[in-house]
Amino acid sequence: MSAHGSIPVLRIGSTLLASIQVELRDTIADAFQEDILQTIAKTGATGLVIDITGLEMVDSYVGRVLTNTGRMATLMGTHAVVVGMRPVVAATLVRMGFRMEGVLTALNVDAGLALVSELIARRHGAGR
Amino acid sequence: MPLQYYIEKLNLDEAELQSRRDFFEITADDLTTLAGLKTFAEKHTDDIVEDLYRLILGHPEAKKQFTEHATLVRVKRAQRDYFLGLFSGRCDLAYAQDRLRIGIAHERVGVPPKWYLGAYARYLRSIFDRLVVELPDPAQARAAYQSIEKLVAFDTALAMDTYIAAQLGALERHQAAIRELSTPIIRLYQQVLLLPLIGTIDTHRADQLMEAVLLKVVEEQAHVIIIDIAGVPLVDTKVADHLLKTTEAVRLLGAQTILSGISPIIAKTIVNLGMNISAMHTKSRLADALELAFEIIGKRVTSSARNHPSAPAEATEKS
Repeated sequence: MSAHGSIPVLRIGSTLLASIQVELRDTIADAFQEDILQTIAKTGATGLVIDITGLEMVDSYVGRVLTNTGRMATLMGTHAVVVGMRPVVAATLVRMGFRMEGVLTALNVDAGLALVSELIARRHGAGR
Repeated sequence: MPLQYYIEKLNLDEAELQSRRDFFEITADDLTTLAGLKTFAEKHTDDIVEDLYRLILGHPEAKKQFTEHATLVRVKRAQRDYFLGLFSGRCDLAYAQDRLRIGIAHERVGVPPKWYLGAYARYLRSIFDRLVVELPDPAQARAAYQSIEKLVAFDTALAMDTYIAAQLGALERHQAAIRELSTPIIRLYQQVLLLPLIGTIDTHRADQLMEAVLLKVVEEQAHVIIIDIAGVPLVDTKVADHLLKTTEAVRLLGAQTILSGISPIIAKTIVNLGMNISAMHTKSRLADALELAFEIIGKRVTSSARNHPSAPAEATEKS
């Protein structure tokens, strides 16, 4: 599953952190999504932070991959957060009418990790 | 503005020069005719220039441009050079730039176009009067006058273009200033920004607003931006749509937007137009928006009972 080899998925406690530093071409995007979902299944991670600070351009395809990956992770019981989107990228997506619905966002990796642990804590709290 | 600015604005290159010469019908023959009149010109320069200044100084308002004697001496000399330039037999780029320079000088000291054009008319009459005396053959005088008139028209056009270019330049600078003023994003508190909107929002401004907001949110790493629309006179579907888009883009960055300053009229409009802005946090008062912003970043506003024992406890206890 590491044939693409370009987007490492790190494990921090029970949270996964993927930092996208390369241009997400279609094949890489698909492999990336698959890799994330497999890792979640394998590790039972409860949080997922996808850092896209490195992405200078996001077209509707990549936008959809990111959104869907987030939604799929949520279905698998993982809190998914997309962080570090650049202003230009946000403006472009919104102008295209693309909303990334159902995906949480945060300003940076730090804020993303904090949000994930807050959500996990809240769920545990609610479960009691 | 330097000469280069005008050359660029007017796009004054060889092609443009040729196009102008074609339109003003300035031919090589005209330039030869003009060069041939050089002795005539040199003989009458002083007369004609003096005549021009009789007109200018005889007019109370135009006279105001020349309050100092030194200035008058200087401009008269420049005027002589200008006049002789008409008979140089050239109409190339260097000539055009020279004419442009004169237009710039006039614009800079604030000579209005009316004096400029009036002076040119007097110029032509002075020249005509002397030409008919100097050249007894009417056909020859006519040809000479026409050549002069063509070049004068060519010069006038360049002068008017510099006036217009200078005005446009000023307009551009003002627009840039207004653009800056129209998106005053203030940092209210750590991670909390405020954008007080004043005036009409059109599509162009909305686009700028969105860009400015997004850049600032990332730059300041702000968690919340309050957009206060109390100063926006009209909120229609378009404006609401722009605000929604901005809210959505801000969310993509990982921050939140609070819309404040919603007056009863705006609330009515939004509901009556059937707009759904439930994606936004909305508050009528800026103070409430600020409290919500604090709540979002995990702070709380409380009254200090010790300093104001009589003040009503307005603590924002979360129930």
